[in-house]
Amino acid sequence: MDLDQLKQILDLVREHELTQFEVEQDGLRLKIKKDASGAFVPVMSHVNAAPVAQVAAPLAAPAMAPAAPAAVPPAAAADVDIELAVVKSPIVGTFYRAAEPGAPPFAEVGTTVKKGQVLCIIEAMKLMNEIDSEYDGEIVNVYVENGQPVQYGERLFAIRTK
Amino acid sequence: MSDPLPTELRHAIEARRDRLGPLASRIVYFETTGSTNDVAASLASADRLEASPTDVEGLVVIADAQTAGRGRRGRTWFSPPGAGLYVSVVLRPGRARESVERAIALLTISAGVALAEAVERVTGLSPAIKWPNDLLVERRKLAGILAEGVASPGSGALHAVVLGFGLNVMSAAYPPELSTIVTSLDSELGRGVDRAEVCAEALASLAERYRDLLDARYDAILDAWRARAFGSRGAKVEWDTPAGVRTGVTEGVDAMGALLVRTGEGLERIVAGEVRWGLHAARY
Repeated sequence: MDLDQLKQILDLVREHELTQFEVEQDGLRLKIKKDASGAFVPVMSHVNAAPVAQVAAPLAAPAMAPAAPAAVPPAAAADVDIELAVVKSPIVGTFYRAAEPGAPPFAEVGTTVKKGQVLCIIEAMKLMNEIDSEYDGEIVNVYVENGQPVQYGERLFAIRTK
Repeated sequence: MSDPLPTELRHAIEARRDRLGPLASRIVYFETTGSTNDVAASLASADRLEASPTDVEGLVVIADAQTAGRGRRGRTWFSPPGAGLYVSVVLRPGRARESVERAIALLTISAGVALAEAVERVTGLSPAIKWPNDLLVERRKLAGILAEGVASPGSGALHAVVLGFGLNVMSAAYPPELSTIVTSLDSELGRGVDRAEVCAEALASLAERYRDLLDARYDAILDAWRARAFGSRGAKVEWDTPAGVRTGVTEGVDAMGALLVRTGEGLERIVAGEVRWGLHAARY
């Protein structure tokens, strides 16, 4: 991993307002955590685990392209001390962050949410679908802007689960 | 607290019992409530959390007046007493025999068709439908539908849908300054209309189209919809996107009810948001 790649990753973490991040490539593990002052502290280490076991968390080159905000480690990755869950759109429709224009958003970065709590509304065929959180945790990222169309399976929120 | 169902409404519903199926097996009536959709949604949500839930399918909430009647995206639905129909029904399109996704997509389309059919059966007026489900007479809005999903706890799947509709029976149902864009049954007919009959027929027609939906008779629903949605082909439309207003010409709807619009860049598929029809579009 060279300096350019490291910079790219830091930018990505900043762009997506993640507070913690972990990536592994060619047996090298990079952990980034915000310290108390809010600054990022990158920590690099070598991994001894069999590389095959890490295939489940592919965070190689494609994920680093800014166009693909996929750089969230799957919660299932082994020995990860944080867990990020990604809420995806179950349908094609229009994404709304609040119950109506002018109302406060259901959830913002930093909001603590509970399982079953409404995160957003997706409108499809004039049916307003409330999307509930499947996790207890804290919103660390909102991927879509209010009023944007979303596709099936598109990422909506990242939640740091508790 | 709910109120007793008015006698004439009870009779009108009972007279159609054989067409209602699971619909209106339970009716909650209010002289005044905030929003029938909110009441129905809270009853449906409370139900889904019960250890042995009662079946909310077909639950009907009716109000003579609403103090917080709602339309799409927080718009107010004017709901003074005695002038309109304010009804919400709890439906479960997830129970469709096949292609549940299509049943969910076509639910509000089915409801628009049913409401138009009910109006026609009781009054002889033949309302047009504006995609996906507003009822219009000579371009003016007669009725609107607002559907809200109730998610299953845990899975996030759709547990039920609260389908609410507001229909202007008398011109007192809307502020006079809206009379260029809104209309009512009595102003179209020039005579009074039996509100209980319209309400009961709306429920019976809705029950029949809901049955079509559960039995996966999707093409029959879409055919009936197309016969009333004159502006869904060859009409100029515009709609808002985050990147600005777009325009195009309608080319019908697809199997999922999405509106197809030809633009300079190709064929767009619209599933949400509000589409505005140009002034010279046929019949709108």
